[in-house]
Amino acid sequence: MTALRDYSAAVTQPTLGGGAVPYDEVVAPDGGLRPGWRMLAEGAIQLTEADLRRVGGDIERFLANDGVTYTVPEHDPGPWRLDPVPLVLDAAEWAPLEVGLAQRAELLNAILVDLYGPQRLLSSGVLPPAVVFAHEGFLRVSARASAGDPHPLLLSAADLGRNAAGEWRVLADRAQAPSGIGYAMENRRVISRVMPELYRQAGLHRMAPFFQALRATLIDSAPEHAPNPRVVVLSPGTLSETAYDQAFVASSLGFPLVEGSDLVMRDGAVWMRVFGRLERVDVILRRVDAAWSDSLELRKGSQLGVAGLSEAVRRGSVRVVNGLGAGVLENPGLLPYLSAMCEQLLDEPLRLPSVQTYWTGDERSMAYVLDHLDGLAVRSIDQSVDLEHHGPDRLRELIRAEPHRYVGQELLPLSQSPTLDPRGVHPQTVTLRTFTLRYGSTYRPLVGGLATVMTDDRVPSSKDVWVLKASPDDPDQGLPDVLPLTDVRAPAAMVPRVLEDMFWFGRYAERAEDMLRLVLTAHASAEDFRSRPHTAGGASLAVLMSAIGRLSGSRHGTEQLDENFRSLLLDAHRPGSVAQSISALRDAAQSVRDQLSPDTWQAFSWTERASAHLSTYHYSHQVAESAAQMLTGVLSLQGVTANMMRDPGWRMICAGRAVERGLQLCHLLSATTTVRRGIDIDRDVNTAVLAATESAVTHRRRYRGYVRLTGVLELLLTDADNPRSLASGIDEMRQHLAAMPESTGSTRPERLLDDLLDELERVDIAALTAIEGERRPHLDRFLTGYIGQLTRFADAVGEMHFAGSPVPRSFGFATVTE
Amino acid sequence: MRYRVSHRTTYSYDDDVSDSLGIAYLVPRELAWQHVAERALTVTPQPLDHTEDLDYYGNTATYFQVTEPHRVLDVLAVSDVEVQAPQHDEHALLTPWEDARPARRPDLADAWQAHDFALASSLADQTPQAHAYAAQSLAPGRPVGEAVVEVMHRIHADFAYDKTATTVTTTVADIFDKRAGVCQDFAHLTLACLRSHGLAVRYVSGYLATTPPPGKERIVGADATHAWAAVWIPGSGWLAVDPTNDQLVNDRYVTVAWGRDYGDVPPVKGVIFTEATSSTLRVEVDVAPVTG
Repeated sequence: MTALRDYSAAVTQPTLGGGAVPYDEVVAPDGGLRPGWRMLAEGAIQLTEADLRRVGGDIERFLANDGVTYTVPEHDPGPWRLDPVPLVLDAAEWAPLEVGLAQRAELLNAILVDLYGPQRLLSSGVLPPAVVFAHEGFLRVSARASAGDPHPLLLSAADLGRNAAGEWRVLADRAQAPSGIGYAMENRRVISRVMPELYRQAGLHRMAPFFQALRATLIDSAPEHAPNPRVVVLSPGTLSETAYDQAFVASSLGFPLVEGSDLVMRDGAVWMRVFGRLERVDVILRRVDAAWSDSLELRKGSQLGVAGLSEAVRRGSVRVVNGLGAGVLENPGLLPYLSAMCEQLLDEPLRLPSVQTYWTGDERSMAYVLDHLDGLAVRSIDQSVDLEHHGPDRLRELIRAEPHRYVGQELLPLSQSPTLDPRGVHPQTVTLRTFTLRYGSTYRPLVGGLATVMTDDRVPSSKDVWVLKASPDDPDQGLPDVLPLTDVRAPAAMVPRVLEDMFWFGRYAERAEDMLRLVLTAHASAEDFRSRPHTAGGASLAVLMSAIGRLSGSRHGTEQLDENFRSLLLDAHRPGSVAQSISALRDAAQSVRDQLSPDTWQAFSWTERASAHLSTYHYSHQVAESAAQMLTGVLSLQGVTANMMRDPGWRMICAGRAVERGLQLCHLLSATTTVRRGIDIDRDVNTAVLAATESAVTHRRRYRGYVRLTGVLELLLTDADNPRSLASGIDEMRQHLAAMPESTGSTRPERLLDDLLDELERVDIAALTAIEGERRPHLDRFLTGYIGQLTRFADAVGEMHFAGSPVPRSFGFATVTE
Repeated sequence: MRYRVSHRTTYSYDDDVSDSLGIAYLVPRELAWQHVAERALTVTPQPLDHTEDLDYYGNTATYFQVTEPHRVLDVLAVSDVEVQAPQHDEHALLTPWEDARPARRPDLADAWQAHDFALASSLADQTPQAHAYAAQSLAPGRPVGEAVVEVMHRIHADFAYDKTATTVTTTVADIFDKRAGVCQDFAHLTLACLRSHGLAVRYVSGYLATTPPPGKERIVGADATHAWAAVWIPGSGWLAVDPTNDQLVNDRYVTVAWGRDYGDVPPVKGVIFTEATSSTLRVEVDVAPVTG
């Protein structure tokens, strides 16, 4: 039996209780398939549960490789979940929905324009004033007569569910900063790769033209003064719930992803800080809620927005999408009046009804809600009151105290759709998020969407939404004339924050790589000598372990070698550990996600699988295996950077790598070579140092296997032909720093580099290795001094290239009033 | 009466401020009973950007941005204002208070706008205590004018004027706890009490000309900013009451701006970019009668 047949048999079986069976998205009440599925049937019917499970596994892997995350508020980012079975709608069902959604966006726009303008809806009594005045999304700073922004709604979303009759109803409108379109696109990308045949057969609308139209809309929305408008995507940062969605949208559209601290207000306009210059920003696709967008006129103390943004918007010098006041449209208190508003504003009947909603500010509605609390969901009109844990008595009390702040909404049965879970394929409740864009002068719904299913473990999962074409010749998205996106690579927003993240990306990548090599070298030595501590090899192992301890804090005695190795690879709280470097590397990568190739994330899925294996298998050789696997992952980042544009961001990655390599090398040499321990031990230590610095082969070629400290130091310090040497690193740093737009040849970082080079050129290796007793004081002094200078150089790069402005604060913070 | 109002706000910081963005509500409104003959607002150091606009409620909002590094920011507003005592329609004041609630008056053209001031706002939380306190003065059918004046009397009698009792973050519940506050608190208290019964009440910010004790000279700069409340009276505009001084607003009051509460119309607010760790605020207000 195939999965779909099993499912079909199960859902058409009469239920014991004889209760109403919800509308099923795949199976009609007579047991046959719904029209959309009939068109897919051949390919779809043949899928067995095992097939689906394999596809589910592929999906998980693809999503992990792409680094797709979703963050449940107050948790660490978790994986984005996608069910293999799509939600399928045929053209006949979609057509009226599309008309209804377009009308709805048109209506919402008309409401927005009225509420922030003439307010005829309020003065004429069509809409009770308290619905609007009590809503947090109604921004009086945007409702001034002077406000230059005509506030059109450019991108809205609607959440839909089916009623008992199977008709779609709008559950909620999203206009503030609708999220999910990036996830919808990613879902499609993954599904088309894991089920290519089914996808090809289906004849569904591709999503790309919608993105192209969105891009055109944003560019066209720029204020008139801008011939080449600069559009940015404003994100609240990597901690945001939908950070992935934001970065995906930014990079797909080819607009830089910025944060509030990257922008600044001047001359009544918004600017981006780039290399100490200010570049004008014309359009902001806002993913920060309006309340947090301006600490001057909106929420005091917010650092997510741009202080003064409301003023810039009022002057018309920047266009914010959606307008700051658009949040008022998310008010469920509008729903009971939507039909009347539609008649008044558009002079036509409302086509797509909302879920039945009662605003309790109306006396009769309040009476109804109070009498029917069992069958209704009570919500506050702007989510400003948390009602989740209140019983009916408390709800009645709250509603009676401030009736205008609440609505009661009918609970729809919603529909069900087959969903893969660990026990099989079962029906789960599904809702649909749709997106509507203003393109030219009309509203165009995305032909597709993002479906959400609640799984048995209460973690939401998503589904791709397949809207089938009526005829194979129909243009995708009904948009035949949209120009394809030509090279939409995001013009890098080389703001100080981004440069800083790039620099640390380089440093952490190098730090992880160097530590991995050191661990691999030490582990190999441990396999040979752990039981022979009194041999030269055993002593050399102890030296290596103390070097590791110096770089990562020593927490383990020599007898706990394996625990030590494991913690170096797995303990993200151990400073200098591989796990910590990779975690920090990932954070840095996430905040510049729009600038990096999607391949970046495969590196992390490698390292994650290696960590998972190491946690599961407790054999000693698993340490080496996992470390090697991690190294493969981290090294693949070299490939990612090799293919980057040679822009300042890339230069900062390279400079960061070179600084870190230099620092790691000096620390390693200082921990291993500044003390003399006897010929045999020194030879073993030196050999290990060469291995850990990836210079063993070169050394063998050059010195014919004769390992002496002078040779090692020549190769690692002064030999500019060895890419792992200090000299080569300094040279790299000089090249990259010199190419930075702010460099003059005499900036502080450049001068520090001159000093570093100078010192290296004057080094006399023979003098450096001179012995006094057991120690090599000259070498020790040189390395210690060099570490200090490299650190000062790194700090100077930060001061010169990453310095943003200070954190904004309110007038009279920490004030003493006289 | 005619006054020359001078209001200086000075922020001093212990380190350079690279950027100050500010909004000021310091220009008095033009009203039926108030004429602003002259006015000037000066920010020092000189702002790169300095504009004036009418806000949603018709108040003059001044926006400015200073971009040269500074340790002292000085905002000086000087205006020359002629004020008469507002007139009230005695008949309208006799309206039963229940019928002075905008929700009950769809027959009046300005009722829908007044509604904005009948709802809770963040600094005038409608606590059950505030509701109960006002209920004592709102017997069924009582004339609105009488009821409002009684609430004003009671607040004046029951709450002590105490500058040390409250801060800018004081809530209505705090004021009830301490039974004390300053003019801004008493205005918020009035808002919370009357709004919780459905009346529309505005927060008004401005100045009150002080009279020196008999035989003493006026002391320049000893005045302060002031705040009071105004209640919507159907068909007769707004009745302004000053619970701090237990009197109806008269020709000694200069009206600057109104809103839902202090948060809508602070005299000066802003955002600075600085590494400074402390700041000092000094406010000097002088309301001098002008003769002739």
